[in-house]
Amino acid sequence: MSFTAVLHSEWIKIKSLRGPAGSLLAVLLVTLGVTALAFATIGQAEADNPGAEPLYDAFYALNFGQVAALAFGATAISSEYLNGALRVSLAAVPRRTHFYAAKIAVIGGLALATGLVTAFAAFLLGQSFMGSYAIGLDHPGAVRACVGAGVYLALLALLAAGLATVLRSGVAVLSILIPFVLIVPFVIGDVAGSVAEFLPDRAGQQVLHAAPAGHLGPWSGLAVCAAWSAAAVLAGLWTLRRRDA
Amino acid sequence: MTRIDVHELTKEYGATRAVDRLTFAVEPGRVTGFLGPNGAGKSTTMRLVLGLDRPTSGTATVGGRAYTALDAPLRQVGALLDPQAAHGSRTARAHLLALAASNRIPARRVDEVLDEAGLSAVAGRRVKSYSLGMRQRLGVAAALLGDPAVLMLDEPSNGLDPESIIWVRELMRRLAREGRTVLVSSHLMNETASFADHLVVLGRGRLLADLPLQEFIDTQVQPRVRVRSSDDSALAALLEGHGYRPVREPDSGPLTVADARVADIGRIAARAGVPILELAAQEGTLEEAYLALTADAVEYTSARTADSASAVRESQEARR
Repeated sequence: MSFTAVLHSEWIKIKSLRGPAGSLLAVLLVTLGVTALAFATIGQAEADNPGAEPLYDAFYALNFGQVAALAFGATAISSEYLNGALRVSLAAVPRRTHFYAAKIAVIGGLALATGLVTAFAAFLLGQSFMGSYAIGLDHPGAVRACVGAGVYLALLALLAAGLATVLRSGVAVLSILIPFVLIVPFVIGDVAGSVAEFLPDRAGQQVLHAAPAGHLGPWSGLAVCAAWSAAAVLAGLWTLRRRDA
Repeated sequence: MTRIDVHELTKEYGATRAVDRLTFAVEPGRVTGFLGPNGAGKSTTMRLVLGLDRPTSGTATVGGRAYTALDAPLRQVGALLDPQAAHGSRTARAHLLALAASNRIPARRVDEVLDEAGLSAVAGRRVKSYSLGMRQRLGVAAALLGDPAVLMLDEPSNGLDPESIIWVRELMRRLAREGRTVLVSSHLMNETASFADHLVVLGRGRLLADLPLQEFIDTQVQPRVRVRSSDDSALAALLEGHGYRPVREPDSGPLTVADARVADIGRIAARAGVPILELAAQEGTLEEAYLALTADAVEYTSARTADSASAVRESQEARR
């Protein structure tokens, strides 16, 4: 069974559904929209704060865009768990590892491409409002942060996709991951200190800092985030291979 | 070879045995009706053949190979399992294109099967706007996509309008004539009798019968003769004298003689000079045969089944 044929099939599937396509577009539009709104209004005022960190702050809107990335990963998988759709898919592609690998590749590829475009566009858009405070891509770590932000969005999409395969539901995944990624780190962040650093979002966002503090550096932080995603994706593979469809 | 072979197949879900040491083969060139009440294990068996569920024990193969080992499975086996399976927000064409791409089936086949299923005009519409009948047609189109030698259709007539039922029946008969292996599950007896050449009957996951349709009916339903005379009581007495047990139908209708043949009854009446107004052999129906079989099987002798069986028999008698 040819992997490229399965890949082609998964590409047709994902582009013919509104949910995933909409979520992917939302990654870009939400991030750019929030960036424009925040930077046009309070961007320059905030830049004067003593705690201001021009590079990290440039990705403020990523906090919102990442929810759409989670939604993309979850909906791209959960469509298979409606009304026995998975049975039709697996009857066409009975090699489940092929099927799943193609699906993950399409989800990861699309999320990475969208993530990179989103990251660079948000950075440049935000800085265009910053006047004399503006930094460019030549700012130390700026390109690394933009690439890292794109990879980070793709990793979150894969985290959601893997978990959606384990739980067989997009809603369940989002109701776990959105609080997990958005709220838990804020709540336990200062209390648990170093433990929170290893949660997927904190670790993954290390790459956005010009000079990250704590145990994890920019790339090791991203690697920890990738490990979370890999664990979710592999757990998904294990369940898919093991379970009756 | 394009046989479906099921050997000692068993599937347990927790404590429930959905399929219990099932062994049968589905041969090419004929339509095999897969009969049994809801929950008898028909759909489970089909899922096991397609490698979707893993058997607890036993094997299921298509053309001697496990389905999951087939290289381009849609080119060898077409299956309709659940008409709701196509995603509502996809168009019918996109649904079929995605399936075709995975097995390297040319996109032109998509238009051919859409045409065959009568869906060409609505192929660009989202599936959620389809009626159940249209979804069934889409499911059949998907099964035909790879021009497979083996077809497995689970309740294909469900939700179809009369015209579509005829369409699916003719389609199945044509596919069998072309030498393909066709397995069609149903719980509707009259419908199955209209297309099946051969029957595999399940009850509680076990094989109850694996016979040609007519043979199945003949083994389960005794031949009967319906006879009417100008003097029914004389005729009844005459037949009783010959060891038959004629039964008078309600409203002084004709006599029904169980386990008899028209040639014998006609000869007896002629010799005795009893005038005969009507004499006809009564063919058993698949429904009667099926109910007779399931009434015999121990697990079916619940009061409810027995009642409904006699109710069906009565309603059939009444129709005659």
